[in-house]
Amino acid sequence: MVKIITGTTNKPMASEQLKSYFHVHNELTGYLYIGYPIIGTVNGAYPIDALWVSPEKGLVIFNLIEGKDIADDYNDAQDDGANKVEAKLKGYKQLMQKRRLCVKIFVVTFAPAVTRIPDFDEDYPLCNESTLSTVIDKFSWDESEYYESLVSVIQAISTIRKGKKRRSIINPESRGAKLRALEDSIANLDNRQSRAVIETVEGVQRIRGLAGSGKTIVLALKAAYLHAQHPEWKIAVTFNTRSLKGQFRQLINTFYIEQTNEEPDWDNLQIIHAWGAPGGGERNGMYYTFCALNNIEYSDYMSARKKYGVSDPFGEICNKALSEAASIKQTYDAILIDEAQDFSPSFLLLCYEMLCHPKRLVYAYDELQNLRSQSLPSPEVIFGTSSDGTPRVNFNTTEEEKPQQDIILEKCYRNSRPALVTAHALGFGIYRDPPDGKESGLVQMFEHNSLWNDIGYEIAKGNLEDGKCVSLKRTNQSSPEFLEKHSKIDDLIVFKDFDNQNAQDTWVAEQIKYDLEHEELRPDDIIVINPNPLTTKKLVAPIRAKLYQYGIDSHTAGVDTAPDVFFANGNESVAFTGIYRAKGNEAAMVYVINAQSCYNSSFDMATIRNQLFTAITRSKAWIRVVGIGENMRGLIAEYQKVKDHNFTLDFKYPTKAQRDLMNIVNRDMSEAEKNRVSKSKGNLASLIEELENGQIYLEDLGRDQVARLRTLLQAKEE
Amino acid sequence: MLPISKIYKQIEVLTVQLIESSLCEAQNFPSLKSSSGNIEEISVSHNDYSIFLKNIPYSEMFRQLVETKTYNMKMIDGALISLSYRFKQKCLISSRLSFFPSPDLEAFQNEPDLYFDDELYSDIMDKRIVTVPIRFDYDANEKTQKPITHPISHLTLGQYKNCRIPVSAALTPYQFLMFILMNFYSNAYVKLNSKFTKFKNCFNSTIFDEERELLHMNTPIYRS
Repeated sequence: MVKIITGTTNKPMASEQLKSYFHVHNELTGYLYIGYPIIGTVNGAYPIDALWVSPEKGLVIFNLIEGKDIADDYNDAQDDGANKVEAKLKGYKQLMQKRRLCVKIFVVTFAPAVTRIPDFDEDYPLCNESTLSTVIDKFSWDESEYYESLVSVIQAISTIRKGKKRRSIINPESRGAKLRALEDSIANLDNRQSRAVIETVEGVQRIRGLAGSGKTIVLALKAAYLHAQHPEWKIAVTFNTRSLKGQFRQLINTFYIEQTNEEPDWDNLQIIHAWGAPGGGERNGMYYTFCALNNIEYSDYMSARKKYGVSDPFGEICNKALSEAASIKQTYDAILIDEAQDFSPSFLLLCYEMLCHPKRLVYAYDELQNLRSQSLPSPEVIFGTSSDGTPRVNFNTTEEEKPQQDIILEKCYRNSRPALVTAHALGFGIYRDPPDGKESGLVQMFEHNSLWNDIGYEIAKGNLEDGKCVSLKRTNQSSPEFLEKHSKIDDLIVFKDFDNQNAQDTWVAEQIKYDLEHEELRPDDIIVINPNPLTTKKLVAPIRAKLYQYGIDSHTAGVDTAPDVFFANGNESVAFTGIYRAKGNEAAMVYVINAQSCYNSSFDMATIRNQLFTAITRSKAWIRVVGIGENMRGLIAEYQKVKDHNFTLDFKYPTKAQRDLMNIVNRDMSEAEKNRVSKSKGNLASLIEELENGQIYLEDLGRDQVARLRTLLQAKEE
Repeated sequence: MLPISKIYKQIEVLTVQLIESSLCEAQNFPSLKSSSGNIEEISVSHNDYSIFLKNIPYSEMFRQLVETKTYNMKMIDGALISLSYRFKQKCLISSRLSFFPSPDLEAFQNEPDLYFDDELYSDIMDKRIVTVPIRFDYDANEKTQKPITHPISHLTLGQYKNCRIPVSAALTPYQFLMFILMNFYSNAYVKLNSKFTKFKNCFNSTIFDEERELLHMNTPIYRS
């Protein structure tokens, strides 16, 4: 069975024919790529129509012919293709023996629409569906020991390394040495990631994955790939965090040049922020463009916030723009959205409406940015229904040879298995002691239990069903082993409590000093996170002052610092940050300080546990969670249970009713809401007391009010 | 005359205190160097960009200073503070004290809500603000100084080429930093000023008599 990976192509008919040939001939093996690769040459981009790699045959290039006309110089084209692929492969040492390329390269011109194949030169095979087998039968390759290397070269797509730091390592046992080995292991794209880059859907495509699964790089390479195949398309890449722009631009530019030897045409490939502002050029944005094209009133953040409040002003103005547009101008051929979890569905719909047929929309998001629930509704809900009542977008169950519409990048390369499971266990409160009178200590839970599978958990024991006991574990498949093998478990994760603030601060400052002086870590390998955003500036200050006195430079993330500048190479400074600015950033060694604030609270339980989850998942290698006092000891006890359960999640899945209750009790509340609740609670308590000791009578309250209260209470009991 | 070691000490102590007060979000270590001709110098960077950066737009200059880490302190709103002093034979010959506010606040645009509720930011988040770069320069070079048109110690606002408001003497780090805090971070200053060590020494007056007849600034005079 040949695995087929369908990219985008200008020769759809012939491609389909070729795919169906391989589908039928399931005795063949290997990978067939349609519309991939593109090779950069001295004359610019050289796209290969299709390419098949197999252990028996080596590498077969297909030149596809859509119609019935076979160009006279089809043999020149074959020479060209073979030479270009050969030149490219020769760049990889693992495929060479001295100066000889060990991969056999064949070329076939495939013209399925031509019924009578003229006689051809043996050296330049030309065939249609009925003669393809005879040609392929003649191919053979006897150095199949190079097959695995060949596949990984083709799959790697790009030699781009993501900001690898230069390290000079003296001690092979130091953290710095371990980190270098880790970074080397994750340099290349894996099989799923490269499929996600190439596979192009004529419609909506969704890419999901945890933080660290490579969504941004997949999206960037995809944009560059689409642009290389279709330079005339209008393509937009959009996102929420402004500083991502630089990262996207750099990734796309490097990859595009690598593939085509040309600069991207930035007029057709736009990297623009979701919102945007007047002023043109760099300030442009999707929403702004939508307003301009459709002659709709534009709102900036300030005015939107004034009008719609703080909860979701952007979603509201997108809705407003959509409802006001009479007929929407369809401008783009493809739109790629990163960080889609940060947007409301109305922004996705706005992008969808701006696309020409066949509406190539790719959106990538992290299902778990927020532990509470699925961060985005299903595509049926987001994109609505057409006039006949059927959903405009839905993901059909995938057939093998079709490009996947719904991609899950299940491997998490950022966090080791123990760290990720700990973050989930504490975030959900899996092993939290039940509060008085409660059966379970869970803080929050997914509405759909299938989400656990999507994010890479397997059932170890029990049933993943409402009201049933279940034990979930992560596998090698979803959490690669090399991420945890470099250090002992008690070094990967450390929880530690202190008697007072100063003791904690001193310990952290000394540890950082040791890491830098003896463990060969660099200052930018370390971040210190204070989970509570309101106390961050105050609480990080004393540690920073201590470090300054040790002669160690540090900084806090402020209003004008962009994350990529933040961790720029050669930045000899330790980063301190609150939880919001930590989003999207990662470092090898993470200190979570004052973690006691994440243990318990009468309001916002979900919020503080989410903070802890976010903080822990910033760590690529080692994590230190420290704090003060009784609550910290409670948190340590909770972690101890995670460890005792061997980093599995063992719990009883809450029922629908229990989940609903959890969501109400632990919901996010604004300061004003909290005040209102506290006030009403106080009023109610004094009312009850006064009624009980006869200071006032029920009759005093008025018959109507008492009746309404009674109805409310009854309704709740039912 | 104030010795350079005391100036260096002031910078060191005040930097730690500014970090502790959480007003300073990044900083560099000042260095004290001596070179031939009995010259001693305090600065943060090996490179002096002041001439190179003369003819480029403010936002570009600011970016360059951030990237090359040419500042003593970076404040919570991104503003850069730099202090440099040069002494020859124990005498101050030049100094440059600058306050360069950030031309744009990217993180603020990303997550504005984070900053609205924090009183430390209340000065700088006011919509009406137009930020102004401020420089106190001191140049004892007899060739350049010229009464009125080029006062020895002067204040430049907004990077205007010929803006040189006469100042009575050179400023100490303490005088300069308190001036900045008091006027541009006033909420924080009111809360925190007791935490800063007070350094009550000053440089000798250098103002020309004819400048006293113009609108000018006086550096502090301490009673005790």
